[in-house]
Amino acid sequence: MTIPQQRVCPDPALALRGLVKRFDTRLAVAGIDLDVPAGSFFGLLGPNGAGKTTTLSMAVGLLRPDAGQARILSHDVWADPAAAKARIGVLPDGVRLFDRLTGTELLAYHGLLRGMDADVVDQRAAELLDVLALGADNRTLVVDYSAGMKKKIGLACAMLHAPRLLVLDEPFEAVDPVSAALIRDILRRYVSGGGTVVFSSHVMAVVERLCSHVAILAGGTIRLHGTLAEVRGERSLEDVFVEVVGGRMATGSELAWL
Amino acid sequence: MAVGVRHFVKLKLRITANGLRGQTWRVVLFVLGAVLATGAAIGGYALFSLPGLLGEQRAAEVALPLAGGLLMLGWLFLPLVFFGVDESLDPARFALLPLPRRTLIRGLFVASLAGVPAVATFAGTLGMVDSAARLGGPGAAIVAFVGVVTGILLCAAISRSLTSTFATALRSRRARDLATVLLACVAALLGPLQLAALAGAENADWTGLARVADVIAWTPFGAPYSMGLDVAAGRLWAVPVKLALVLATIGLLLWWWSATLERAMLGAVGRSGPRERPESAHKPVAQLVPAWLPRTRFGALTAREMRYWWRETRRRASLITFSVVGVFLPVFIGVSSGSAGAPTGMLIFVGALAAVSLANQFGFEGSAYAANVVAGVPGRLELTSRVAGFSVYVAPTLLVIAVVVGLAVGRPETVPALIGMLAAAYGVGLALVLPISVRMAYALPDTANPFALSSGGGMAKGLLTFAAMLGAAVITVPMQLVAFLAHDVWLWIGLPLGLLYGAGALLLGLRLAGPMLDRRMPELLATVTARQ
Repeated sequence: MTIPQQRVCPDPALALRGLVKRFDTRLAVAGIDLDVPAGSFFGLLGPNGAGKTTTLSMAVGLLRPDAGQARILSHDVWADPAAAKARIGVLPDGVRLFDRLTGTELLAYHGLLRGMDADVVDQRAAELLDVLALGADNRTLVVDYSAGMKKKIGLACAMLHAPRLLVLDEPFEAVDPVSAALIRDILRRYVSGGGTVVFSSHVMAVVERLCSHVAILAGGTIRLHGTLAEVRGERSLEDVFVEVVGGRMATGSELAWL
Repeated sequence: MAVGVRHFVKLKLRITANGLRGQTWRVVLFVLGAVLATGAAIGGYALFSLPGLLGEQRAAEVALPLAGGLLMLGWLFLPLVFFGVDESLDPARFALLPLPRRTLIRGLFVASLAGVPAVATFAGTLGMVDSAARLGGPGAAIVAFVGVVTGILLCAAISRSLTSTFATALRSRRARDLATVLLACVAALLGPLQLAALAGAENADWTGLARVADVIAWTPFGAPYSMGLDVAAGRLWAVPVKLALVLATIGLLLWWWSATLERAMLGAVGRSGPRERPESAHKPVAQLVPAWLPRTRFGALTAREMRYWWRETRRRASLITFSVVGVFLPVFIGVSSGSAGAPTGMLIFVGALAAVSLANQFGFEGSAYAANVVAGVPGRLELTSRVAGFSVYVAPTLLVIAVVVGLAVGRPETVPALIGMLAAAYGVGLALVLPISVRMAYALPDTANPFALSSGGGMAKGLLTFAAMLGAAVITVPMQLVAFLAHDVWLWIGLPLGLLYGAGALLLGLRLAGPMLDRRMPELLATVTARQ
């Protein structure tokens, strides 16, 4: 299979070069090269255990790679972390929030942590809580939030300081359809305003609706990447995905006892 | 197939072994702990077999129940204060399995015996069997063995049920005040016992001590360890009575434990609904940062720490335990020894104990620390704000401790100097603990029990605590020397000197630990993230 050549952008929002990560004996990420063009809506697809979370963690400075480079808007994440980290917003998956704070307190915390002016934090936090229907006066602790509300407050925290690049790990997992539509709308607006979104998912429908670019990750390597049209061709994204990733889709004679 | 006790034991051992896999320093700590425990066991055996070797029946009747009672007290308090309980078999994990409660309790209980402390205690107390054998022959030895076995069962039952009770009490936010009072009362029990022991030791009043020992021998604390001696003395009738007493106590404790466990298991699945908190009219930043803190990064970090020390059960548990122990221990030592000079050493211990609460500060919040890593918070700022947030609670407590101790020993004029000594010990303790918290953090299990540690964690916590306290004692030696040599001047210069000493040590510690944290933020995040 020929891998479509991506249009080379002079200054990609996120550039990964030869990223490798090994856990004990297992090679989780086996050399990833990837350019995310500025202004794109980039979907990182892959089956469970493909290395999506590991790759994104290394890209944003949460996990030190064994080899390779990650550059955010031409700032090296591992050589100049302060400059790189100032330009991104991150919604990690499988990571707890500071959940003994209320949603409002958590937003204020993130805003001040990013060095924002307190008045700006007040204004933006109130607006975000209102738009995401979390309630600015709500004093429930985040630990008592539902899974969908946790995703929404996490997203709000990632966007509060208006970063140029958003890195979201599974932003639509456990989110109800209404909230998902709302999040999609917010992200579309963000991209049309010049921002770049990278998100991981294994839900094809969401990726097909949103993304301008996709990459398919399996077994720790990029199998296919390019614009959505290039990757998909004439077929559905799901067919391409299954063909690239491989694996079993139906049962045979087993499980007769079910 | 019926699920037996051995399945639980095997599971516990397997989890312990897997927890050690690939974690070199954990293995080192485990081995170190095992070596120390072996030493303690051998020492205990030698000590307990001594009365038998000497052929002193009366000495044995005094020493063994007293020692046994102390051992039980250790099992009661050490988990609460220092070690935590090894909850590698989290009861909540069994909530969905079709297990009868009796099977579950029996399994968890026996599995809790399959650990280093229990084995070491058991091996040490076997020395009592040796003593009984020499004093009363094989019959006495057999009864003593039965006694020792019931003794270790009682030790485990006490520690399990007590920590479980506190866990339940502290989890419900409404009951936390009650728990504070309860813990204070339990700590207060230490007082009279200590007074009695010290008075006995000071006056060498053997008849008085012997009377105490005779009483203890008839309580569940001493009964398991005096049965064999009763046989040796010909009081055969005492054996069934004491055995019944001990078994009834164990039964009662296990029943109590299983009742609290049931609540804990339910709590893990369907926790009490979100608490209704009144809506706030403040703006977001004002909701987080109190007015007296700057509305900056430092303010946000410190405010978050302050919230966490009160809202998170684990932290609150360690805060409350410290406050109670910190107030009661020096007071009793001071009162019972009678001189004003004595509590100084105790205060250094207390100051360092306060700092030790931060030894695994990154482990408390686990993977939530990722937010600070992503925001790129500098190491110095991170650590400074954490110390500030914790000190908001600890500094007043230390003040109260100094005042209370000064008044209790009847020397109110020493209070400023005592404050100085506490500040120095706290500062030195922090300086020692901050690098430890960066280098040797470990993940805490995600359970509802604030005293729970993953297997091997207890060893780490205990050893680190003692190392930090020893270090604080050594580093504050100059202060102690000045206090000792220049006694009158000390009353005047103690406060400023202590504050300077503590602040200097803290600055050094921050200087050391800050860049260390800058270098290993992602690694720290990985170590405190609980593995699923």
